[in-house]
Amino acid sequence: MIGESRTLAYLVSLVRRLRARFMELILSLQDYVLLSWRGLVAIATPPRYTREIVAQMDSLGVGSLSIVILTGMFTGMVLTLQSAASLDAFGARPYVGRLVCVSMVRELGPVLTALMVTGRVGSGMAAELGSMVVTQQIDALRVLGSDPVRKLVAPRLLAGIAMVPILTVISDTLGIFGGSLIGIFNLKLSWEFFWRSVGNALTINDLVMGLVKPIVFGFILSSVGCHMGLRTTGGTQGVGLSTTRSVVVASVLILSSDFFMTKVLLLLFPVT
Amino acid sequence: MAERADDYEEDEQRERLFEGAPMEVVARDVDEPVVWFGDVHLSFDRPILKGVSFTLRPGTTKIVLGGSGSGKTTILRLILGLLKPDVGTIIVDGTSVGPLSEEELRDVRLKIGMVFQEGALFDSLTVGQNVGYRLVEDGQASEEEIEQRVREMLGFVGLATHYDKMPSDLSGGQKRRVAFARALVARPQIMLYDEPTTGLDPITATTITDLICKVRDLDGVSSILVTHQLRDAYNVARRFMLKKDDEYVTSQVEDMSTLEGTEFMMLREGEVVFEGSPHDLQSSTDPYIKEFLS
Repeated sequence: MIGESRTLAYLVSLVRRLRARFMELILSLQDYVLLSWRGLVAIATPPRYTREIVAQMDSLGVGSLSIVILTGMFTGMVLTLQSAASLDAFGARPYVGRLVCVSMVRELGPVLTALMVTGRVGSGMAAELGSMVVTQQIDALRVLGSDPVRKLVAPRLLAGIAMVPILTVISDTLGIFGGSLIGIFNLKLSWEFFWRSVGNALTINDLVMGLVKPIVFGFILSSVGCHMGLRTTGGTQGVGLSTTRSVVVASVLILSSDFFMTKVLLLLFPVT
Repeated sequence: MAERADDYEEDEQRERLFEGAPMEVVARDVDEPVVWFGDVHLSFDRPILKGVSFTLRPGTTKIVLGGSGSGKTTILRLILGLLKPDVGTIIVDGTSVGPLSEEELRDVRLKIGMVFQEGALFDSLTVGQNVGYRLVEDGQASEEEIEQRVREMLGFVGLATHYDKMPSDLSGGQKRRVAFARALVARPQIMLYDEPTTGLDPITATTITDLICKVRDLDGVSSILVTHQLRDAYNVARRFMLKKDDEYVTSQVEDMSTLEGTEFMMLREGEVVFEGSPHDLQSSTDPYIKEFLS
């Protein structure tokens, strides 16, 4: 009898906790949608904080350049090596340039760039805004007549939307270049042949897909970073938690949205 | 509470009488409260404020005492519109702040200066930029005018040489003084102080309380001081400042019964358990208040 009532009490407490967790998730989602909408409205309407926008673009774009170059280049190189090994089985080594270029532009360039920028900048946004929340700087901004969304969120959103596509193009280019180096020095393909196959492979549809994705990814990593930062509670420990959450949530959202975007973009811009 | 509500309604009616009259005729009643709380309730996971009512008259200081978690800081956040009450009315300089949007609150906030608990200075800006932030945001003054005003305010708080320093280079007391200068730069009508002396040594705390007196006595600014430091609360109540031959002179009233313009309010678990003069507070027989004062 006592055992049964304990089990019942445990189940009731479990249901309550699950309900509380679910409600928290719904509220967080609501906050996220509202913040994103207000951020986009702030981008579209004056006043704008030009100095903040330039600073964020510099931090996100120029600051992430080195990791994006390295990631893109090594990804292109390893992709060439792996693809060549598989294509050799069918005697299709000459197609390696085509495969590497399409893979980089359509998929790996956008996703890997976004993930690297999320780790470097998205986490930084959450930490910076989280610290501002716990030290009451956000309250001070509001009291001094500034709108934190306009002042802090909009420049970061704009920087993400504008700079991630540019970083992706750099990553794609460096990836294909790295692949070409492996193709020439390791696979004994000619430089001219490799780059001609790259040129023949790329279509407008690939470029559209390769540029639409990073715009969405840039928005996701910035908005999630800002959202997690502004929802920080619990002092410095809370800042750490927000930072971790922002990276995890943004990475999962980037990877899952990539799947759905690919489905939609393949319908709109089919492979020719 | 009901009496206070009636008081305010009377004031409001008096003002309504002047509606439509030429601007110069619509003079504000000098006794019109600058801050008025009417039966304010607020709850999060638990009740934070339970029916708080009080009035802050022009040129006076209200010192809010209470233990941690009693709802002192929440009162300041409600005045600023950073939080909305569940029930009740909050009127700041004739405007009910509860229903206002963030954009509409801007005008109300311009009348208020706030000194946050730890200063809340912007890490990425210099001391000068922190102090001049509001003026830059307003966009009314030229760069030269802003710099002049900022230097004037830094001189007022005794940090004239710290214009280009970063907040990380300042001590705790200096940060509070910069926060003071930032709050005062736009000449507010109301000053709110959230535990401005917490964590400071007694000498630095006295510097801060003297600044509070200076603003109150020389500029006639109405203020609410939230604190649990009894010594500093009494300092603000007792001490007063005069300007003699371009020098500030601090004096002290020894007889608490003669003090005017300073009222104490004590909160306990979100409820007002005492409101009155410093003398009444000292002579209170309430066991909680006696324990708090001991």
